[in-house]
Amino acid sequence: MSVVDYTKELSVIEGKPPLRSLDDLISKPLETKPDKKFYIALSITLSMLGLFVIGLGLTFWYGIGMWGNNNPVGWAFDIVNFVFWVGIGHAGTLISAILFLFRQKWRTGIARFAEGMTIFAVMTAMLFPLIHVGRPWLDGWLLPYPNQHGIWTNFTSPLLWDVFAVSTYFTVSLIFWYVGLIPDFAVLRERTSGKVKKLTYSIFSLGWRFSNRHWNHYEMVYLILAGFATPLVLSVHTIVSFDFAVSIMPGWHTTIFPPYFVAGAVFSGFAMVQNVLLIIRKIFNYEHIITVDTLDKMNKIMLVTGSMVGYAYAMEFFIAWYSGVEAEQFTFVNRAFGPYAWAYWIMVSCNVISPQLFWIKKIRRSVPVMFVIAVFVNVGMWFERFVIVVSSLSRDYLPSSWAYYKPTYVDFMILIGSFGFFFTFILLFTKALPVVSLAEVKAVVDGAQPSHKDH
Amino acid sequence: MNNSRNSTDNKKEFWKSLEDYNSDPEIQKLKQNEFLEGVTDDFDSSKLSGISRRKFLALLSASAAVTATACTDYRDKGEIVPYNKRPEEILPGIPNFYASTCSGCENNCGILVKTREGRPIKIDGNPDHPINKGKICAKGQASILNLYDPERLTDPTINKSKVDWKKVDDEIISALNIARNNSKEIAIVTETITSPTYLKLLNDFSAKYQGTKIYPIELINDANRRNAWFDFYGTYEYPSVKWDEANIILALDSDFLGSEGNHIEAVEKFTRKREPLNKIDFNRLYAAEGRMSSTGMMADYRLRISPDEQYEFVMALINELVRKGSAISIDSAVQSKIQKYSFSKFEKSAGKDKLNNLVNDFNSNRGKAIVYAGETLSKDVHIAVNLLNEIIGGTLLYDYSRAFKNLAKHSSKEEIEQLIDSINKGNAGVVIHCGVNPVYQLADDFGYASALKKVSTVISLTESENETSAFSHYTLPINNQLESWGDFSSRTGIYSLQQPVISPLFNTRQKEAILLTWINGSSSSYKEDIYHNYLMENFNTEVYAKKNPFTDARTFWLSALHDGVVTFDENVPTSSKMNQSSLLNTKENQKGGYVLHLTNNCFVGDGKFANNGWLQEIPHPVTKIVWDNYAAISPSASKKLNAENNDLVEVSANGHKLTLPVLVQPGMSDTTINIELGYGRTVCGEVGRNVGFNSIKLMSKNFDSSPFIYSNATITKIGGTHKLASTQEHHSLDETFVKDFHRKRNIIREGTVEGYKKNPHFLHKEKEEIFSITREHKYDGAKWAMAIDLNKCTSCGVCVASCNVENNVPVVGKEQVLRGREMQWIRVDRYYSGTPDEPIVSNQPMLCQHCDNAPCENVCPVNATNHSPDGLNQMAYNRCVGTRYCSNNCPYKVRRFNFFNFRDEFADSYYENDLTALVNNPEVTVRSRGVMEKCTFCVQRIMDARSNAIRDGRELKGSDVVTACQQACPSNAIVFGDANDSESEVSKLREHDLAYHVLEELNVKPNVTYLAKLRNTHSEEIA
Repeated sequence: MSVVDYTKELSVIEGKPPLRSLDDLISKPLETKPDKKFYIALSITLSMLGLFVIGLGLTFWYGIGMWGNNNPVGWAFDIVNFVFWVGIGHAGTLISAILFLFRQKWRTGIARFAEGMTIFAVMTAMLFPLIHVGRPWLDGWLLPYPNQHGIWTNFTSPLLWDVFAVSTYFTVSLIFWYVGLIPDFAVLRERTSGKVKKLTYSIFSLGWRFSNRHWNHYEMVYLILAGFATPLVLSVHTIVSFDFAVSIMPGWHTTIFPPYFVAGAVFSGFAMVQNVLLIIRKIFNYEHIITVDTLDKMNKIMLVTGSMVGYAYAMEFFIAWYSGVEAEQFTFVNRAFGPYAWAYWIMVSCNVISPQLFWIKKIRRSVPVMFVIAVFVNVGMWFERFVIVVSSLSRDYLPSSWAYYKPTYVDFMILIGSFGFFFTFILLFTKALPVVSLAEVKAVVDGAQPSHKDH
Repeated sequence: MNNSRNSTDNKKEFWKSLEDYNSDPEIQKLKQNEFLEGVTDDFDSSKLSGISRRKFLALLSASAAVTATACTDYRDKGEIVPYNKRPEEILPGIPNFYASTCSGCENNCGILVKTREGRPIKIDGNPDHPINKGKICAKGQASILNLYDPERLTDPTINKSKVDWKKVDDEIISALNIARNNSKEIAIVTETITSPTYLKLLNDFSAKYQGTKIYPIELINDANRRNAWFDFYGTYEYPSVKWDEANIILALDSDFLGSEGNHIEAVEKFTRKREPLNKIDFNRLYAAEGRMSSTGMMADYRLRISPDEQYEFVMALINELVRKGSAISIDSAVQSKIQKYSFSKFEKSAGKDKLNNLVNDFNSNRGKAIVYAGETLSKDVHIAVNLLNEIIGGTLLYDYSRAFKNLAKHSSKEEIEQLIDSINKGNAGVVIHCGVNPVYQLADDFGYASALKKVSTVISLTESENETSAFSHYTLPINNQLESWGDFSSRTGIYSLQQPVISPLFNTRQKEAILLTWINGSSSSYKEDIYHNYLMENFNTEVYAKKNPFTDARTFWLSALHDGVVTFDENVPTSSKMNQSSLLNTKENQKGGYVLHLTNNCFVGDGKFANNGWLQEIPHPVTKIVWDNYAAISPSASKKLNAENNDLVEVSANGHKLTLPVLVQPGMSDTTINIELGYGRTVCGEVGRNVGFNSIKLMSKNFDSSPFIYSNATITKIGGTHKLASTQEHHSLDETFVKDFHRKRNIIREGTVEGYKKNPHFLHKEKEEIFSITREHKYDGAKWAMAIDLNKCTSCGVCVASCNVENNVPVVGKEQVLRGREMQWIRVDRYYSGTPDEPIVSNQPMLCQHCDNAPCENVCPVNATNHSPDGLNQMAYNRCVGTRYCSNNCPYKVRRFNFFNFRDEFADSYYENDLTALVNNPEVTVRSRGVMEKCTFCVQRIMDARSNAIRDGRELKGSDVVTACQQACPSNAIVFGDANDSESEVSKLREHDLAYHVLEELNVKPNVTYLAKLRNTHSEEIA
């Protein structure tokens, strides 16, 4: 076991690579023709996307009845997927904005990619509120706009807050991401000779000339945007949790939901980032940029948030018991021992037990093991939302209306399809934009910054 | 009605010339052009643009139209033509009501048919009818759909090919003549005859065609009761029961409150003694039964007695009561017969305490207690019960003024055997089926179907294809009851009239008119009013002459039609002399093994209503199963058999076998298998075809004492399942995890009569004020509210049927119910407590509670559901985008989401056609897919009442509004009105000691108040 010298800051980028080699490495996927593996991967994600399209087609043509939703369980896979994908979309902004404000330099290797993921995850998530309604062609009515009917939206509805929260988050994340991309676009503009590419990069680089003033402004804007995005990281899932917390359903009506949801979102977001990055890192030979140290730190965050989630699970039970509300108590007992106990125990073992393995340093630094655990976490977090949404609804106040929910094949088509939608964007992203920030990475290579020591 | 529209020649009433009159094609052609040729030639057209003005305008309008249609979702809604001459009696938008009579079953309840612009849209009871008093059963409510059944027969057919009536009539008349001349039998198989004029007609028929024999058959009938009455009292006409005067009632496997006899009448009378509002004067109901019936659910004490033990049970009861004294002297032979029976056998199964209570109650309520045996029980049991009622003075509760008349006796099994025998010997020339389906209804071992093949002329008069018409050479379509004339007199002193409220939709005739044509002996003698005149004639001689009123015949006829019913004094033989010795020939049921009990289903009846989607989808009052029947067995029998719900079993009795799924029914006797009849139709419309299992296959002509009860039945699990669709999850009663939730959560609150008398405030002793953190809304003016008295609700499902019809609730089908997507706006929840063997059943109608603090309203993102100033929780369907959040947040889960366009989705758009669309209430929006819906408190009726009040210049009163469920409820358990009017009944009920709200602690402030059920047990504890 190597001994770490904690008096020295760890290198973020291993091996002190020459800056030009970083440029070459990171822009290589953009400058080479896609290989066979890429096409295979793309064909898989596109097939999944095809399922999405077919599933949606069936839903739009026949109605929500194509799904398994029933009378007590008005929301099921649709909203589970929505919350799941919004959750995935949390890691990006957290990494790029909050860690930026906290001066965590290790974030540079993963920030760009995580932000991209955020954009795509939120895009995926935003589909669900639009498609889950009975009459999707009237989705526009969810927006408050002046109209001749004089009908306004209902501002007391958490669903409306969702519209605002998610769209704001998406807009700010997109701008933040784009601002970070501007210097990289300029680098790419300089490197390319293709006419179309050059024109495109020129337009998107907004006339960036690497001047000192540009950098100055850039840093300031980035900082402001980071400051702006930070509360959104917390607010968006807080408001998503209001969808449940504001209701009066036992199992939903819980004050712990906002922090619990945010912790869960960060948890699942990191797991997803890590899952995908491990593959990218391998394929694109970024092992020295996205180092095991970085992964180790991500695993620690997962350990923390996973424990927070576990605490929330326990606290929900405690409060249910402590409240003395019979319906509330039953809902939780029913979660653990009722007809959806299988989902509950999948959730607990994936979310609470599996990340506890990260206490062990060896596991934290073992790429295959962490990959598997992150997969577990993703599965567990999906089931967490399933448990919250479905098991609470399926057995609420009046036993006469209880019913078991079973998904249909269309539900699975849309679930798989949403991954297709997400990963298609991810794949296109890897071939269209630098998945690691050129400018930021170069700035954190050992020796790139002036220092008092061996200068 | 449609003659002028349908006429093919276009001869006109006004004509200018002979050419015009003859519609000369030349003239027609010239008329096409506005101007004659040459008129427009004044211009030099070559100088003008190539496009004519017309063409230009045509192109312009065409392109505008194309653009417009491309930009809108306009769909051709068909031609809408306003009246240019207002038909008499019809005012657009204003409904007309016509009194008529329901011929759905032999009870012939008076109905009031609501029509809009000439089409019937709702059937309710006729309030002026002295028997059913404005109420009608679920079948009657939903039967409006039968009028618009897409598979109704439209034309007469010979061997399934369409022909015209003339050909049919000619052929049949000659066949009848040949049969008569060859002295062959002409058999008319008909349903129960309760119409005096129809009976006269059949007699005329017999007179014209000698050799005619009439066979009235009915699958579910009261023959056992009638025959017992005949044996005991010497008449077939038996009295009705004054349920409203009985203190103690013992029902022996009788579902008199649910599916037997005129249960609508019985429920209304019975629940008058379940009125908690003023003085508590409750009756006490004992139910001794092997199955679990609606009556059993209402019972204060249930005794588990299987149907094959009923005879011994009655005899033992007679023995016990005679020892305490008898109102009559008992013959010594009878004495010695009854002494053989004792209660000791039943102490274990029924409970010693209950038996003691029963005997003591009977003893101390002589003259106020009655025993009532179910119609499926054998004649012997009925004879014993007749004696028992004499002993305890139950005869004082007999109402002879409204006795059940006997116009024509049902054919006995011997008579049917004779018919089949004569067919098989080639002695039958013609067999005519009048609205009956004997191939389906008669037990297989009669061999009716195979016999029919030997008859040269088989005729079926039916509304739609059935098993019998499949064997018929001639299938003649008959009118629906709403297109027919008729009269009925099933009860003494009551003569009830049926009148058409719409002209026949198709090329159909009413069955009496068809027979009348045949009696007249020529096809040309048919006229549309042929039976109408015949009926009036008979009315004049039978009723007008008897009643002898001061008006002329015509006026009297019209006023009788207006009222729908005529009452007069009619003599009935009272049962002064009884024949006790008839008891000596009675015997016990055969016993051994399981006993199979076949019973009536209150929705599909004898299978006649199988093609009615609304009826198939009303949850069974006890099991909540829809679209199926099943073998119901007790929990311990299911353990013994190792069969759970849905497991397929083979039931065999008397050598007949049937495979069907199991349903574990708490409270059943351990040896009873209960299967309902009327399912498993094979030749039927698409809705009813192969729905459920035909339990008639288990019936045999060689039954022991009752065709509905077979002992020595076996039941074996055969592997495989058939999924039963239930609207309520089946929670095992002994699963401690979810046991008694309805009590723990105060959903069901109950007490006992004794406890209530002692402490009327027992329900609210722990009542705490719930404070609100928001400002309460003030309701000035009316505030709508409902109160439901759980003491009265029998779970019959009539409210559901009425609501379906009133509010255009779609049929979703079994698959969708399995997915939990039934659409009914009102449901009756059923909860069990106690043990699986001795469950206590509680029923609760559940509908939108129109909460003051409605949790659905604040979560809707588009304001589609909101509150009206008069306290209604409203739905704006047009605004709803379908997020389903409101439904999720509804603690009562009474909202219903259109997961599909169910009219389109159900059975390949079965009900989406121009014909069935006519059933829709034009005052209620037909909801499409993706929209949430729920009970509106019949807002259309509130609006109607309001506009009437405005028109009349008076205050709107709560009592002006009657909701569909309230109007239909046979027990008057539902009260609707203005909660702000302190004088109104509903506001009194809201303040009643027994009033409570479901889930009160949520502070959603529901506006449906429930009145806690009081059980009339001997103790203060709920038994």
